[in-house]
Amino acid sequence: MRIELISLGHVYPTGDEALKGVDLVIEGTEPVAIIGQNGAGKTTLVKHFNGILRPTSGQVLINGEDINNRSTAQWSRDVGYVFQNPDDQIFLETIRKEFEFGPKQIGMPEEKIKEQMDFVSELCLLKDKLDLHPFDLTLTEKKFCTIGSIIMMDPKVIIFDEPTCGQDVEGNKRLKNIVKTLQDMGKLCITISHDMKFVVENFRHVIVMCKGKVLLDGDSKEVFSQVDKLKQSFVSPPPITRVAQKAGFKETVFNIDEFMREFDNRKEK
Amino acid sequence: MAKAYNSYVKRDTFKENISPNVKIWPIFSYGLSAIIFPNIYLGLGLIVFLFILAFFSKLFKGFTKIMLGFGIPITLMLIFIHGFYGSKNETILYDFGPVQLGLEGVLHALKIVSSLLVFLGTFYIMNHTTYTGKLVASLTASGVNPKVGYLVLASLNVVPQMQRKLSVIQEAQTARGVETKGSLWHRFKVFVPLLGPVVLSSLTDAQERGMTLETRGFGIKNVKQTHYVEVFYTKTDKIIKYMLIGFFIVTLIITILMRLSVI
Repeated sequence: MRIELISLGHVYPTGDEALKGVDLVIEGTEPVAIIGQNGAGKTTLVKHFNGILRPTSGQVLINGEDINNRSTAQWSRDVGYVFQNPDDQIFLETIRKEFEFGPKQIGMPEEKIKEQMDFVSELCLLKDKLDLHPFDLTLTEKKFCTIGSIIMMDPKVIIFDEPTCGQDVEGNKRLKNIVKTLQDMGKLCITISHDMKFVVENFRHVIVMCKGKVLLDGDSKEVFSQVDKLKQSFVSPPPITRVAQKAGFKETVFNIDEFMREFDNRKEK
Repeated sequence: MAKAYNSYVKRDTFKENISPNVKIWPIFSYGLSAIIFPNIYLGLGLIVFLFILAFFSKLFKGFTKIMLGFGIPITLMLIFIHGFYGSKNETILYDFGPVQLGLEGVLHALKIVSSLLVFLGTFYIMNHTTYTGKLVASLTASGVNPKVGYLVLASLNVVPQMQRKLSVIQEAQTARGVETKGSLWHRFKVFVPLLGPVVLSSLTDAQERGMTLETRGFGIKNVKQTHYVEVFYTKTDKIIKYMLIGFFIVTLIITILMRLSVI
């Protein structure tokens, strides 16, 4: 899949200019993380990828096709979108029905739905809870219910809006596994997150947004080494990275092992 | 992206500078006058006046939309019921064969509609020119229990809040392959299953908000509460209020005189 934005601008009906000319290409299956302070335009940006929002200027091309050619419902078989607040998405009485809803809408055959159900309920660790009411789940499990109901539709691109919000360590592990599995299946995951530790652990492609524009776009090591630019967007690298930067390490490190390796290297010198 | 908590949008018109407390008065003064007055002319006159008022309050478009949207169907319905089947029908306007359209019934129907429209119109103008917070602050300042004030605030907020919630849920639905555009029947079918969650979540929201209010000492007793929103009450406000009361009293007197066949 290839998502291409050509000087994309979006002005809300209230007059707020949320995107000020974004040029961006996202391609392949390498998971992408989008970071930046609140109000930087992250959600507005990704809502253009399946046409929930339409460009007020510029162009969005999905595999070369203009986003305006189809309705959001038609795009939904190619681009899945998991909303930030699970309560906005959940409306049926069991998790099983939530999972079946999307696939039925796009006319997926029964057989395929069954297959997907087994696979997704396993992946999201909701296998034993399929017949519960979604409102009986904890907030974190609800999030996985909404994630599952999108993966069920088997789209080629899946957008997660703040999946880490409110997740504990176990939840983050589950997410990590989901992102990895989807990548192995050849899907493109695009994730908005404020959790820098989660970002550096799972994403090599990082996009930093600031005030409606893309500030940085590239390999995570490269992005997090540009301290001054990051400051503009009020993003701070994970603690261990900052310690290394303060200590004057040349390499950007993301975990304890990398840190120690660099540390030993320096001692030897 | 944040929106105001009710239908109020600042438009800098004279109506906004009138104390909210006073703006409630027309609803009763005009509304009750239209009801008690023996014929429809006062009601119709008031409706024309409200249209002019709406125009100067820069609300003309929305006001017209709601007045016609509500007025036309209800007029047709009531004329149908009262015009054809009213018990007082004597003068026949038109003979349709099986049923006759009676003048008295039609007038009765128009009377009801005009009174309803006066209530609706005054309420619409009040609601759209008043920041709810200010309204409630001025109500509590004039002695209304803060809890009752909150009740007013919560019920005025609930509709716009549901609308917002509904539009987000609809977005989430389209992202799952639901086509929300199309024929009216199709849209209706898509819309109905969403109502449950919207109403339910609005209720839980209200409950949660109530609890957070308690934790911030809203229900505290034996303490004189202060207001963040500034409440004012000017001489003009006073004059307008007395004029409105006067209007109702004059209407009342004229009505009684007309009923007694003095005039």
